[in-house]
Amino acid sequence: MKGFLSKYGVLVAFLVLCIISAAWKPDLFLKPENLRNIINQNVPVGILAIGMTFVIIKGGIDLSVGSMIAFVGGLGLTLLNRQMANGTPELTAAMIAAGAMIGLGGLAGFVQGLIVAYGRVTPFVTTLIGMLAFRSMTLALANGGEVRSSSTEVWPAWGSDGIHIPWIKIADGRMDLVITYAIIAFFVVIGIASFILNKTRYGRYVIAVGANERAARYSAIPVERIKILTYTISGIAVGIGAIFLSGRMNSVASGSQGLFFELDAIAAVVIGGTSLRGGYGRIWGTFVGVLLLGVINNMLIFAGVGSHWQGVVKGMVILLAVLLQRERRDV
Amino acid sequence: MARLAVRNLTMQFPGVWALDDVSVEFATGEIHALIGENGAGKSTLLKVLSGIQLPTSGEVQIEGKTVALHSVKAAEHHGVAMVHQELNLIDTLTVAENICLGSEPNRIGLIDRSTMRSIAQEALAQLGAPIDPWTPVGDLPLASKQMIEIAKAVAQRAKFLILDEPTAVLAEAETIALMRLVHKLKDEGVGVIYVSHRLDEVCALADRVTVLRDGKVAAELDGAGQRDQIEPHNLANLMVGRELEDLFPPKITSHPDEVVLELDAVVLDGFPAPISLKVHAGEIVGLGGLIGSGRTEIAEGVIGMRHKVSGRLTAKDPAYVSEDRKGTGLHLSLELKENTSMANLNNYGTLTVDEGKQVSAAEAWIGKLGIRAPGPRVAVQSLSGGNQQKVSLAKWLDTNPRLLILDEPTRGVDIGAKSEIYQLVHELAANGMGCLVISSEMNELIGLCDRVLVLRERRLMGELRGEDVTESNIMMLAAGVGASGVA
Repeated sequence: MKGFLSKYGVLVAFLVLCIISAAWKPDLFLKPENLRNIINQNVPVGILAIGMTFVIIKGGIDLSVGSMIAFVGGLGLTLLNRQMANGTPELTAAMIAAGAMIGLGGLAGFVQGLIVAYGRVTPFVTTLIGMLAFRSMTLALANGGEVRSSSTEVWPAWGSDGIHIPWIKIADGRMDLVITYAIIAFFVVIGIASFILNKTRYGRYVIAVGANERAARYSAIPVERIKILTYTISGIAVGIGAIFLSGRMNSVASGSQGLFFELDAIAAVVIGGTSLRGGYGRIWGTFVGVLLLGVINNMLIFAGVGSHWQGVVKGMVILLAVLLQRERRDV
Repeated sequence: MARLAVRNLTMQFPGVWALDDVSVEFATGEIHALIGENGAGKSTLLKVLSGIQLPTSGEVQIEGKTVALHSVKAAEHHGVAMVHQELNLIDTLTVAENICLGSEPNRIGLIDRSTMRSIAQEALAQLGAPIDPWTPVGDLPLASKQMIEIAKAVAQRAKFLILDEPTAVLAEAETIALMRLVHKLKDEGVGVIYVSHRLDEVCALADRVTVLRDGKVAAELDGAGQRDQIEPHNLANLMVGRELEDLFPPKITSHPDEVVLELDAVVLDGFPAPISLKVHAGEIVGLGGLIGSGRTEIAEGVIGMRHKVSGRLTAKDPAYVSEDRKGTGLHLSLELKENTSMANLNNYGTLTVDEGKQVSAAEAWIGKLGIRAPGPRVAVQSLSGGNQQKVSLAKWLDTNPRLLILDEPTRGVDIGAKSEIYQLVHELAANGMGCLVISSEMNELIGLCDRVLVLRERRLMGELRGEDVTESNIMMLAAGVGASGVA
């Protein structure tokens, strides 16, 4: 049995951090818009991290997601622009583009899964190649610049608008709080992912493959299919993330969009208590990991710590999380 | 003569006393056997002696001085080394590198390869093992690997050497070589602490026997004064604490005609010749032969884990209980209920996995097979070897097989659990299950099986039935001399 702290340490740490933040800067931290922003800003990385959780539990890693989110977003926006140029109504074009992003992400993940499962190339190398290739293709697509969306209403609205909550006022009571579509999508993704991991047969098989691939094979589990599906899920998560990331700026910057997102996603998964060795993990942990990183960033900004130093602090937090949750050494 | 003693040792785990006031004394130049059922406290005692775990209370003394064995290094420093049941060698390193691992000879910080070579050569020569020090360990057979583990301890000039189930993975001939080696070590003044489930070995080797039961010392027998009491039946009784019924249930003589496994001139990948065999419903067929003779590979062929080159293979709902619980048999880090349903998850709900059903099925198996576990949610790695083996059996019985292939079903399993497993196999066969039992234990093939097929170098050498199933006949076929009664 794992101890309480190694199991719920991340939750305790998160709550402690929130209490400290609230006590220190109650007027800033506890503002509804601040709390909303902490989540909202981290939705793309958060969605990637949820997909990444499956891959890591399976015993793999997906380094391609940061580049892929730019690539899929860039292609999707190109499609959107072409549709609108052909006279397709904006809403229809946006829906086609969103569907295309999810589909393309899934396809890209599927192909990487094929290479891992049947090509027997390690996940690290496969997705490293993906990371390089997707970034390079995005740069080629945008000729080094950015892909701008020609949608002026729908796409930017999906990226930053949401459901207005009239009974919570922000900006000194002048505006309604808006729960963005991104946040709603994030929670839906978390719900579906938890269901898949904890309730379905596939979820058990992911854990089984991660815990002991050979025993899984001997248990007549279709190990290859499980692996491919896992990378496909990660790719689909990338597609969903791409909708909101490209919607936020209404464009895709080929060189910088999603840069280092894979590392933030892996960090959130690890902070959340999922074992990098595979075979154990949890979706809620990843969610808390994402929030924890968000709150830390938030606090660093309040504290006036320059953005250059944030990496050091983030690194320390990851180290602390891993130290807390490390398994007992078995000889 | 140096002495290693534990005094009033206790070890408390949540809910259990793994060791309860245990005092034992080991001496150099003596072979001291440590026996007991799984869960009796042997492993815990070994962990304390080898510095893996500190006891809750009590002390370890060397030469009358209390020492703290807080790490494996500390234990080795005090001259206590252990050869684990699961070998801890690094396959990609050479023999010499493995022998010197952790205490590499160095000159100004660089590894001194010539000294390393001579250390390895000296240790291997002392054991009479003709192995080239620069061979990669991965290229060596299992018996040689074990030899290297022992050489490693010898190279460290261990005064006390703990051998945990050293013969569990060895074939008959290799076992004899190992016993000779143990005697040699004793003559050179090493104190050998010998842990084994094989009571005949213990009786042949031991100068002194300590029997553990339920975390306590149940008996200590001195070979000098109580030699007559060191015999398998008595030891088994002491271990279990009751009279053992005969280990093997009576054989069933008549079988239905239904064939559950048939290999008709099947050539498997890597096999030199076609193999034909049949297993009927209700029959217990043994598959004997030395390690590496192709027994497990045939099982792999039956369950489709090994490519079939030609021939016809029909198997009715086969289930293969692997010899390698840790590697291919179980998911040790997962819960018992996950393991017992792992191979049959299709029958636990359609879209979602029905956890209630997993739990109730696991509870049923715990009851039916007498698995000693706190409940269905316990991680399998916390169970003893015998109980893990039962979980492994439950996992495959859960799939409702018609053909059950058992690969070394009692390896690393104590005598009580062994007898229970034999009884179970017997019952399954009586209810129409066809069983194919792969075993290195002669007793098992002779006592349990209706007929025995013997392999040698991946060829089927012959079949023995009834009176012909004897140790010498099996050995003759397995070793390739006087192939009698070829099927």
